[in-house]
Amino acid sequence: MNAPLPKRIWQWFTRTRIGRSIFRIGLPESNLERSQVMVSSFLLHMQPAKVHRHSLRASYSLGLGLISLYLFLILIGTGVLLMFYYVPSTEKAYDIMKDLQYVVSAGLVIRNMHRWAAHLMVLFVLLHMCRVFYTGAYKRPREFNWVIGVGLFLLTLGLSFTGYLLPWDQLAFWAITVGTNIAGYAPVIGLKLKYLMLGGNVVGQEALTRFYALHVIVLPTVALLMLAVHLWRVRKDGGLSRPDEPGDIVQQIQLKQLPTNKTYGLMELARGTTPQVGKNPEDEVFAWPHLVFRELLLFLLVTAMVLFLAIFWNAPLEELANPIHPPNPAKAPWYFLGLQELVSYSAFWGGVVVPGLLVTALVLLPYIDRQRKGVGHWFARERVVANTIFSVCLVIAVVLTIIGTSFRGPNWGWVEPWKNAPAVTEGH
Amino acid sequence: MNRSTPDNKNELPRRGFFQLTLGWLAGAFAVAASAAGAVRFLVPNVLFEPSLRFKAGKPDDYPDGSVTFMEDERIFLVRQGNTFRCLSAICTHLGCTVNRADHGYHCPCHGSVFDEQGSVKSGPAPRGLEWFQVTLSKDKRLLLDKNQRVAADKYLVL
Repeated sequence: MNAPLPKRIWQWFTRTRIGRSIFRIGLPESNLERSQVMVSSFLLHMQPAKVHRHSLRASYSLGLGLISLYLFLILIGTGVLLMFYYVPSTEKAYDIMKDLQYVVSAGLVIRNMHRWAAHLMVLFVLLHMCRVFYTGAYKRPREFNWVIGVGLFLLTLGLSFTGYLLPWDQLAFWAITVGTNIAGYAPVIGLKLKYLMLGGNVVGQEALTRFYALHVIVLPTVALLMLAVHLWRVRKDGGLSRPDEPGDIVQQIQLKQLPTNKTYGLMELARGTTPQVGKNPEDEVFAWPHLVFRELLLFLLVTAMVLFLAIFWNAPLEELANPIHPPNPAKAPWYFLGLQELVSYSAFWGGVVVPGLLVTALVLLPYIDRQRKGVGHWFARERVVANTIFSVCLVIAVVLTIIGTSFRGPNWGWVEPWKNAPAVTEGH
Repeated sequence: MNRSTPDNKNELPRRGFFQLTLGWLAGAFAVAASAAGAVRFLVPNVLFEPSLRFKAGKPDDYPDGSVTFMEDERIFLVRQGNTFRCLSAICTHLGCTVNRADHGYHCPCHGSVFDEQGSVKSGPAPRGLEWFQVTLSKDKRLLLDKNQRVAADKYLVL
């Protein structure tokens, strides 16, 4: 018995009647138990008992999807804590922000964590999408999971946007005024949609109530459900994409083509894309410990990163919302500044047509680009056209965002960030 | 095979007909009605917003040639000689409040520039600022009505 004390205590506990009734399998000692521990645990059974070596390669997935998931979990945790103080009232919300900053124990850090994790989640969901694109991982049989992913990306933006109004500061008020007016430019239903979103004609108490309900229950619930489907399909579609996928992963048994005059067992009906089908056992390792411990380590790193940011940098809080004076310049959060830059040329083209076309293109992408070559490699030579188109769009978006963030000053005029910003002249 | 299939296979069986109409159509109607009810529920019937029709001060409170910004109503009251006009301060682009500049109005959000007549000089605004009706109330005060849009050259002359 030279195992460390916590391990010995755990081993003893999981061998008692009570421990065994809860956990079934203790710390696994054999390969059989390594499989059993994955299958018998609620939290672990989402993952396969054995996982392909390729899926563990950090240089392939970069862990971007997992990081997004962890940020979402941190957002739920900190968000629920914030809900214990927050009141969605135009008269109270801002004061509560100040209380969180100066009065509530750890309030500042928890609000900071929520804000930074939200920013990071937008960033990492976007990076995750880029990874999936550049490795061609959206191709058959993973087309629909890509579509769900696009939905999750939009939900992430929606969650950020609705969260932005809640502090009821200047940024909140004017970002939502601008954002809902953009929605008003949508053809036919635009103005009605804006009225419905705001619960009126201007951003006020009704709008705050609605955005609060969307932010704390509607959008998170939808996101959680879609996330569950997203993760489930990763497994059902054969784990992470990889270059040497056997042919039968792609082959899908059409249930309709099976003769209907006999009784089938479940194994016969299951699609041939579960992780255990058509794989060389030598390419696979046990998920416990190889996958589980990598995941825990990554969770630790992500939490540490968010905590680090939250301790050293405070989430911005501008002055109390003032419906009379927009700040000059009035800027949306950074991930909408590319959109705001477009909108400064034309609200209809920049705010409705371009984003609408982009989202449509993203949704349709796996059904348009059906070539099977180059899957599982970063920047595969066979995919040079698709990668170029995607990269050009990405670069344009990044450049627009940088322009909107750093090169736009008062009255949305052009400023060079390395020079002193001109003094704002305002007069009525 | 469907148990209710009658001898004549081309005829829609009576039971099938009832299943179709009373079952599926009623189900579809219930879903549509619930959805419509939920959406209608979300459309407010009463707004607790400031009235769009309001009184300003007496005409002489505003000197000749002045442009007065009224914060709560987000309008400019423009007096030239004996004429009074009311200009919306809400940018037609994305709803920011425009600022008075030396010769016109500037929007701080996306840089639209309007001239003295509220017409777009530059920037993304799709149309000029709105002009609203100005009348005189019974107690000789200026009565502004944001429900009534008027042309830029329509004045209240005193």
